[in-house]
Amino acid sequence: MSKTWYSDLPQYYQRQIRAMGLDEAGLNRRRLLKGMAGAAGVAVLARMSARQAQAATQMTYMCWEGYNDPRIIDPFNKANDTEISFDLIVDSPGGFAKLQAGASREVDIVSSDMPWITRMGPAGLAMELNPDDYKDVYADFYDQFKPPFEPLMNDGKTIGVATRWGWVGPCINTDVTKPEVWKTYDAVFDPANKDKICVMDWGDWPILPMALHAGINPYEPLDEKQLNEVRLVLRAMFKNTRTLVGDLTQAQKGLLDGSLLGCIGAGSYLTSAVRKQGHKNIMAIVPEPKNGLKQGIIWVEATAVLKETDQPELSQNLLKHVVSKDAAHILALLDSTCNVVTNKAVESVFTPEEKDILQMDYMWHAYDNSQMHRIAPNIDEMLAIWQEELAAAQ
Amino acid sequence: MDMEVSRSWRDPELWVKALPSVILQTTCFLAPLVMTFVLTFQKTQNFQLNWTWNLATWTDVFSKPHYWTILGHTLVMAVACVAVCIVIALPIAYGLATRFKRLDSEIKVLITFAFITDATLKTFGWVLFLDKKGAANYLLMQMGFPPETVAFLFTDWATLLGMVYNLLPFAIFTIYLSIDNIDRSLILAAYDAGAGKFRAFWEVTLPLSRPGIWAGSVLIFLLGVGVFLEPKVLGGGKSPMSAELIRQTFETRVNWPLGAALTLVLMAVAIFVVLLFSRVAGMRKAGQ
Repeated sequence: MSKTWYSDLPQYYQRQIRAMGLDEAGLNRRRLLKGMAGAAGVAVLARMSARQAQAATQMTYMCWEGYNDPRIIDPFNKANDTEISFDLIVDSPGGFAKLQAGASREVDIVSSDMPWITRMGPAGLAMELNPDDYKDVYADFYDQFKPPFEPLMNDGKTIGVATRWGWVGPCINTDVTKPEVWKTYDAVFDPANKDKICVMDWGDWPILPMALHAGINPYEPLDEKQLNEVRLVLRAMFKNTRTLVGDLTQAQKGLLDGSLLGCIGAGSYLTSAVRKQGHKNIMAIVPEPKNGLKQGIIWVEATAVLKETDQPELSQNLLKHVVSKDAAHILALLDSTCNVVTNKAVESVFTPEEKDILQMDYMWHAYDNSQMHRIAPNIDEMLAIWQEELAAAQ
Repeated sequence: MDMEVSRSWRDPELWVKALPSVILQTTCFLAPLVMTFVLTFQKTQNFQLNWTWNLATWTDVFSKPHYWTILGHTLVMAVACVAVCIVIALPIAYGLATRFKRLDSEIKVLITFAFITDATLKTFGWVLFLDKKGAANYLLMQMGFPPETVAFLFTDWATLLGMVYNLLPFAIFTIYLSIDNIDRSLILAAYDAGAGKFRAFWEVTLPLSRPGIWAGSVLIFLLGVGVFLEPKVLGGGKSPMSAELIRQTFETRVNWPLGAALTLVLMAVAIFVVLLFSRVAGMRKAGQ
């Protein structure tokens, strides 16, 4: 029996090859090259036809997943004859670092966490916005986010526009623990809760609430003594920690099945998607003020236009579109996460169920008992302390 | 007629032949490595890279013990992973290459599947299995065991389990290929000389499969020092390993010089360990 190109394969595969008529093709070099040439031809044709279908303007949008939802972007593309490509970020510092490394020449517009948008000002990456150009947009905003919105300003100039927000505080399962227990972060350090605490490993997110609990305001410059207090509180926290997670689903699963009593360093961003699936026993709360310091933290996502964009007008139009009522409604209720938005007009289209998912009856309580998240002057030292204490705890 | 092959570096033909490889290595490996090295002498200020030459990063690396604690932990885990993988892979590979020879092609396909299955998926699967409320504890409870019998998720043991699980195919495959290439007549000769099965394995098969064991060990060790998924997902992030430290330094702290320095330290130490093992293995071989 002559040897074929497939005779070394198991009988089963040989039968499949014969059944599909591929045995007659014979995989020789000439046929392979012919096939490759054919494939290349098809690719060129496909490229040509795609080019014919291309929009008048190409843009690049660096953003969190969700901002790229077709329901938000497609209407804008259609109305402006644009084609937007996305550079999805998985963490804000990483996105900022990428922009600094040269991506600012490619990207037109960015939606990221507010401190990193604000940092784009002094880094010379973001275009300064004129609030007067956004009067129509701000008219629909909650007063708290209207200009002059100091956390998004650099040297008195507006760097970006706030889009979504939420609060950082203990995430709990009310079937397992009572919200009253979490009026302070003491439960994190209670020996009875050893191996029941989850810490969200999201950069500064777990560090800042712990600093506040220790009586340190991390948003002010810290001296050595205060940094040492942060070190001690982190050290104590690691003693009771069951797991540090970087992935939302792991924390959500632990809260749902009760293997985790509480998760810190997260908040409404974590709980809302679970609430959307009907688990209203999972909620994000904010502890009561302690030592004169509000213990919650309000996080805000914002959108800024890049200084080097070749489409400044279109980019600003996209920014206005992202915070518009229709887009904001979609942005508030994504599959991966649900969060309140800065556009007050969206309230009129929320159903009572949607408001419940977003804990809207609680949001201003959370806001009033929280610090506004901004650039913490000593965050690098605190992150270094985090690494040191984590290494020491192992 | 035998042509004399010129082995001189002055041979232009040799240069022409080596040129594509030299260009590829220079642009894809050497240049980024040099850039990484250069980066370590810069500094970051306010999360921005400042091109000012200094030794601050290296001073930081050599003065902070926690970097070395994490590196030591990484090396221990990688070596443990190599040891466990080899112990498990050796009998499996031996069985596959000898007892299940008829299923040769199917086995190769299965091993290939193990390579192409996403490690993230496999690792998260273990969380569902090992969790306090996971499948393992549920099954054990059904069998009458007390609740939470399996309680090693989010420990170093779970990290090691994940590493072994994800890297084992590399060891099986390399050892399998090595055993498969052994001339069967050598083993038969051992039997003819009166050796039993164990002795034939110990004195013929095992020494001849050393290249596969060595290749698998190096591969697993180098992959093992670079794991970040297993310590994060199965280890609960409480015992970070070097890759996670480097990721945090680059991404969260946006401290590229420090991240670059830690990367180089990890590379240097990993290469040193491999060279050390190779030297020890070479000395043992020479002594035999």
